[in-house]
Amino acid sequence: MIRLNWMLVLSSVLFAISVAGMFINRKNLILLLMCVELLLLSANMNFVAFSRVSGDIHGQLFVFFVLTVAAAESAIGLAILVVLFRERRSINVEDLSTLKG
Amino acid sequence: MSQPLNSNLLLAIALLPLGAAAIAGLFCRVIPRWLAHWVTILGVAASCGFSCFVAYQVFFEQAPVFNGTVYQWLVTDGVGMQVGFLVDQLTALMMVVVTFVSLCVHVYTIGYMADDDGYNRFFSYISLFTFSMLMLVMSNNFMQLFFGWEAVGVVSYLLIGFWYKRPSAIFANLKAFLVNRVGDFGFVLGIAGIVYYTAQFGGASLNYVDAFAAAPQIAAQTFGLQGTDGVNAMTFICICLFIGAMGKSAQVPLHVWLPDSMEGPTPISALIHAATMVTAGIFMVARMSPLFEFSPYALNFVLFIGATTALFMGFLGIINNDIKRVVAYSTLSQLGYMTVALGASAYNIAIFHLMTHAFFKALLFLAAGSVIIGMHHEQDMRKMGGLAKVMPITAITCWIGSLALIGTPFFAGFYSKDLIIDAVKEQHHLHPDNGIVTYAYWCVMIGVFVTAFYSFRLLFMTFHGKPRWKEAAAAPHEHAAHDVHDQTHPLPHGEHDTVGHEEEHDHHGGPPHEPGWVVKGPLVALAIPSVLIGAITAQWLLFGGGFGTSIFFNAENHEVMQELAHEFGNWLSFTAAAFAHPVVYLVAAGVFAAWALYCKWTHLPDRIAARLKPLVYVLENKYFFDAINEKALAPLARGFGKVFWKVGDQGIIDGIAVDGSAKTIGLFAGIVRRVQSGFLYSYAFWMVIGLAVMLGWFLTRTLN
Amino acid sequence: MLVEVLFWVFAAILSVAALAMITVRNPVHAALLLVLCFFTSAAIWLLMEAEFLAVVLILVYVGAVMVLFLFVVMMLDINIEEVRARVTRYAFFGAIVAGVVVFEIVSVVWSRSGAEAGRVAQSLPADHSNTAELGKLLYTEYVYPFELAAVLLLVAIVAAISLTMRKRAGLKQQNISKQVAVRREDRVRIVKMPAEGGASAAAPAEKGP
Repeated sequence: MIRLNWMLVLSSVLFAISVAGMFINRKNLILLLMCVELLLLSANMNFVAFSRVSGDIHGQLFVFFVLTVAAAESAIGLAILVVLFRERRSINVEDLSTLKG
Repeated sequence: MSQPLNSNLLLAIALLPLGAAAIAGLFCRVIPRWLAHWVTILGVAASCGFSCFVAYQVFFEQAPVFNGTVYQWLVTDGVGMQVGFLVDQLTALMMVVVTFVSLCVHVYTIGYMADDDGYNRFFSYISLFTFSMLMLVMSNNFMQLFFGWEAVGVVSYLLIGFWYKRPSAIFANLKAFLVNRVGDFGFVLGIAGIVYYTAQFGGASLNYVDAFAAAPQIAAQTFGLQGTDGVNAMTFICICLFIGAMGKSAQVPLHVWLPDSMEGPTPISALIHAATMVTAGIFMVARMSPLFEFSPYALNFVLFIGATTALFMGFLGIINNDIKRVVAYSTLSQLGYMTVALGASAYNIAIFHLMTHAFFKALLFLAAGSVIIGMHHEQDMRKMGGLAKVMPITAITCWIGSLALIGTPFFAGFYSKDLIIDAVKEQHHLHPDNGIVTYAYWCVMIGVFVTAFYSFRLLFMTFHGKPRWKEAAAAPHEHAAHDVHDQTHPLPHGEHDTVGHEEEHDHHGGPPHEPGWVVKGPLVALAIPSVLIGAITAQWLLFGGGFGTSIFFNAENHEVMQELAHEFGNWLSFTAAAFAHPVVYLVAAGVFAAWALYCKWTHLPDRIAARLKPLVYVLENKYFFDAINEKALAPLARGFGKVFWKVGDQGIIDGIAVDGSAKTIGLFAGIVRRVQSGFLYSYAFWMVIGLAVMLGWFLTRTLN
Repeated sequence: MLVEVLFWVFAAILSVAALAMITVRNPVHAALLLVLCFFTSAAIWLLMEAEFLAVVLILVYVGAVMVLFLFVVMMLDINIEEVRARVTRYAFFGAIVAGVVVFEIVSVVWSRSGAEAGRVAQSLPADHSNTAELGKLLYTEYVYPFELAAVLLLVAIVAAISLTMRKRAGLKQQNISKQVAVRREDRVRIVKMPAEGGASAAAPAEKGP
């Protein structure tokens, strides 16, 4: 049977990969959003693992809602991306620096 | 019957001149002249009347000593600061002297300043001065003493620079203030010492009674740095206090301001620089007699300084040609005599001389002022002469004052001066191995001759001999007299506007005339005590317990006064006995020398001066005190100030501390600002790094 | 046994696909790799006997969200050259941080390797329906959050549309409030003209309103 700690390690690896992806990618905004999806996937993996091991179904229910919210958030994120692209004709993350202090 | 003194009366004495000064001063532009002088004269006259009443109560009705707080200002760290009065025989005497001379000067000013625009301001100032001096003498604690001390210094500054548009006047008043400040520095150190030591013996206090009570114990302490032997604490305190007296009473080397203070109008020279302010130092030392009596070294120091001043300032009076400055040097010399008396532990004689000197010196100044008015503001004695015929009352009163000054038998000054010399002689008998006492004795003896010489030189040059003013009026007159360089008596280098005029005044022309009775009246009023007061008061004041408990004598030094009491007898016998001593003959010799050089053979002074050129050079440069101050000490102080200003204040405090800290923050912000890259991914990444660090910290805690 | 082997295979594919996703240059490739990630993680969840969620993952995430991503990627006129350049500049630092995070989590997990973390899932009966179990919970206890989730989705729709909707140029529309607020002076102007009669030389005087 699948051990809990393997699942936890897997989810942490996914998390680390997505964080690294957010950081090393400077040029592609879409890739940034995809890394967010990966992040959410790693969290969901954690939930499922704990839910199955402890026999508590609430964990999976939570994954259900996380999925809903993630879908909504990615839709809006892409909408923003489209509008941004219309204005700037570029998806370079480094151009979005108007918050610069 | 001994009624206690009324504290409201004492308060009125002090505050009436203040109120009059406020009225005359604050409204000086709107009130008419007669109102200004009437308000102030009434204020001071009331003070004088009340002071005489208080003196009567104290001396003749044996009223108990009044020592009380009138108003408690604040208490800080156990030390209370209050307005309080200590009225005993010493205070009462000073009050009478101050208010009486002030009243005479007020009346005199009506005539003297009649043509001046600052009339109201002047009256306000001299009334304010009276208030300050009264607060000083009536004080019962060091703080009020210091307040009065500083206040008289301020008013002196205001009055010396009364004609503030003249650069020489401004120079003089700054000089007076700054030199006084040097003295005040020592004074404050002394007061601090008092507070420090009274804190060890029964509670820190600024009151006289507490300081006096702790005096024997203070005298047993030493004061010094760690690891050194240090000095006796009482000696240190007394010398510091005396440094203040040196500044205020113009002892060598802090005497340099007094001749320059003649830039002010003559009435204030009479009031402040003859009778009252300069005597504040003498008064203070006499008041502190319970402290000084415990420190023989301090007394020796006082004696030395006083003797030096008495003699060497007299020498400077011989060669000066400005009538006011001669009287100023005479004042310096007489202050030296008073200090000598203090140093010889004869405090009552010092105060006695202070009183008689106040009268005849004020008289001399006012007479000089009368001459100046009569000569249309001409001050150079070489341009006077033969004025006795045209100004008889002035001449007579001036003669009386001079006779009193030099110590002619039966006049007031004789008793005080001769008693001083006798006191020094007694000290010499009691302590024959004390070199300073011997030095002092010789100084005061020679000083008698010098005093007689310059006093009568002044008299002969001004009132007798050839009327040189007639020749001066005939020739076309130059106002800028410092262009006129006599070959034989070259103008002294340091004197600025000396033989010029007191005011930029048009020459009226015509012969000199005697001023009116507002000027002559005070002269007469002051002449009477100059003659009589010595004889009348000497015995009971000095030896009949007149001063009561106000002056304290230590057992060893008590002998001086006891010995003198034996010898004194009464005023008549003392006068008779004086003829057996060399002093009277020195006086006569001085008078004769003056007559010989300035009446009979008037060509001699020039020839003597030509023979003694180096000596004349030193005297004319006033022993180079002014030169050292102006060329060495003042630039040194200014240099220090400049360093502290440019480097310390602007460079370090403004540049580094204030601006520097602001700039540092700016620099820091400029660096930290770059963290705000505007890139959200960067912010997210830093959040993750923070998370990693926190996790790591928790891990290391839990896993170990 | 088989389950564990399959788990390791899928886990390996998942990790490699994730790594590849963040390093490839072509965004289309990256999207497709993410799809692969989702597929393999759905497979893992199936192995964990959470079949409802696995299917939902495929249907919603891959079927809707990733399709949306691919739409956007292909719709935008992206300059590939720019996107390619210099992605390895920060790779080292990012890898370090990622490695640290993984190390920390792994160290926590492996330190409790004994009783807690080494647990395995209990085996379920063959006819146990994961879906029915979720359904029972969802429609009884969590009805309110369920409805809220629906509203949330509505909000997302509205937001996405309102963000991206462009107005067609030249489209005429009625502005009712302006129509109602019109004034007489804006619409009518009285012009006074004299009656024309005969060939009179009088020029017609015009008066403005």
